[in-house]
Amino acid sequence: MKELIKKLVEISSPSGREDAIREAITEEVRDYVDELRVDALGNLICMKKGKSGKKLLLDAHMDEIGVVVTHIDDKGFLRIDMLGGVSPYMLLGSRIIFESGAYGIVSTEGESAREAGEIMKNLDFDHIFVDIGASSREEAEKLAPIGTFGTYDSKFRDLGEKLVSKSMDDRIACAILVQTIKELKEPADDVYFVFAVQEEVGIVGASVAAFDIMPDMAIAVDVTAGPDTPKSFKRMGFKLGAGPTIKIKDRGSVSSSRVVSRLKEVADIRSIPVQYEVLIFGGTDARGYQVTGKGIAAGTVSVPTRYVHSPNEIVDYNDVLNTVRLLKALAEEGV
Amino acid sequence: MKLERLCRLCELPGVSGFEEKVASFIEKEIEGKVDELWKDSVGNVIAIKKGNGKSSKRLMLLAHTDEVGLMVKRINEDGSLSFTAIGGVDPRVLMGKKVFVGEEMLPGVIGFEAIHTQESSTLLKTPSMDKLRIYLGYPKKEEAQKSHKIGDPVFFSTAYEEVGEYAVAKAFDDRTGCEILLRVLDDVQGLSLDYDLCFAWVVQEEVGLRGSGIAARQIKPDAALVFENTTAGDNPELPEYRWATSLGMGPVLTFAHSGLVLDRRIFDTIVETARRNSIKFQYKRRIAGGTDAGRLARTMSGIPAGVISTPSRYIHSPTSIININDFLGVAELASVLVKEGKVL
Repeated sequence: MKELIKKLVEISSPSGREDAIREAITEEVRDYVDELRVDALGNLICMKKGKSGKKLLLDAHMDEIGVVVTHIDDKGFLRIDMLGGVSPYMLLGSRIIFESGAYGIVSTEGESAREAGEIMKNLDFDHIFVDIGASSREEAEKLAPIGTFGTYDSKFRDLGEKLVSKSMDDRIACAILVQTIKELKEPADDVYFVFAVQEEVGIVGASVAAFDIMPDMAIAVDVTAGPDTPKSFKRMGFKLGAGPTIKIKDRGSVSSSRVVSRLKEVADIRSIPVQYEVLIFGGTDARGYQVTGKGIAAGTVSVPTRYVHSPNEIVDYNDVLNTVRLLKALAEEGV
Repeated sequence: MKLERLCRLCELPGVSGFEEKVASFIEKEIEGKVDELWKDSVGNVIAIKKGNGKSSKRLMLLAHTDEVGLMVKRINEDGSLSFTAIGGVDPRVLMGKKVFVGEEMLPGVIGFEAIHTQESSTLLKTPSMDKLRIYLGYPKKEEAQKSHKIGDPVFFSTAYEEVGEYAVAKAFDDRTGCEILLRVLDDVQGLSLDYDLCFAWVVQEEVGLRGSGIAARQIKPDAALVFENTTAGDNPELPEYRWATSLGMGPVLTFAHSGLVLDRRIFDTIVETARRNSIKFQYKRRIAGGTDAGRLARTMSGIPAGVISTPSRYIHSPTSIININDFLGVAELASVLVKEGKVL
């Protein structure tokens, strides 16, 4: 499954520019699903037929955080703005790959040591710029005109049990859903797999993807924090390597209790390690599903992830495999 | 050249939740020009010009009727009125301004401590909304209560005026959009369009994009074009790379804003149409700020939209400034897009 993960995480597809990742996922799953369509916003929706007459929806968002070019100066330096929650501190010194193929390096201003120090203290997008190797405005406008989208440029690394890459958020869940689609032979319910757009800018795709489906249960698969690093958030107790987490709540939603208990039941039936998660910030596509139409019982299964929204997000491979097992178990046991 | 109808639209009072006068004006303007016309339960004005039946698709043009303003929240013992903001209003632009209070439009002024009595430590400091009062000349609370109550809307009283290629008024956000829709409707009179052209003048954008989703669920469009008024920010004291847009550079096209990346296909269609018709345009160069397109994307099974704006300096203030050529550029682009029908 590591090959699949590498393939999906290395694709550059920020919010609103999901064409490349959608194409790659479509290619992977086309032969394994009974239905496949792309909706008006670009959500990829696949279905595997079951027998119970009930419907389960599993979601992963395809997009990743990114940046967009907003200004080009006379010397060919770019100014950028963020798509989703991008920290300027994380950007500093990192490489950006633009949809046009241009590469850039992020740096910051400062005309004196004191000014540079002040800027670093409160770093924001007004004080960082991108160097794409252009020497004039005209050259830069050809390479990456205003409105060009970009993402971190970072390669997949296999550290054995731990895997490193950009956009584990949420390509690791895309890979998990693709693997589930391939391994799932006899689902109990009709299982809809939604690869949603624009989660990072505000849960756009998942707010509408289920409108025509109205499943009996919807589960967003996403990354969560990895609060097991030195002096990390002590109010959150889950960690990498101890299994996927069943989310109880975050800032966006409180998981439906029926979803939480059903996930725990099937985990117990199949002896799959799981943890409970209360995240003190953040939100997932579950929020979009929960308030769709007359309301959908919704929750989130998360893969604990260190350094979320950085160019180097780390997950544990066993957690990934156990998430596939958990979703497969739910699909086979039924909602 | 005076943009007569834009002038009248801007001078109408229409703080969020109190858009009736704007809605009625629009209803009168479009009567007889459309096949269907109704006002819904929240005050959105919705109109449909049926296509010739070649296509079953629907395009919705949308603008919001409301404007930012104030609301009376307390009547003080001295007969002055305390207020709260409706929508995003900077308290710094309120001091010393004339306003109209209530549906009766009674004139008042927003007072603050005179420069003579201020300590050097308070001078040039922004007062909080709580420190500002509206004075209408009542000697005491009981007198004020005869004409006012808590919840009365307060409107900026700026008269519309044109100076060269610029116009100054309140409420360009979003009466420019309202007028664009009226102009498009005039432009398509007598034309046979392949698709249903739908119009939505919606309420309460400024307080959280509340009217647009309701309108869209009645119209069920396949795509939408949102006509907005947007931040210029081309102030000389700011470096150019911080300008969101600049006056005189043409209609503003948005690739992404707060909470949404605009539909790429529609965005590309707008850019291509502008280029091919030699309509000068510019991009919105900051992400902050949202529009009703954000609501439409999250409505029903998702309605893709494009956003085209007239840029405005000192937006959300009693004295906003637009370049008339930018506005006319938006009108021209809107008209071409509708006639070509490529957005669908």
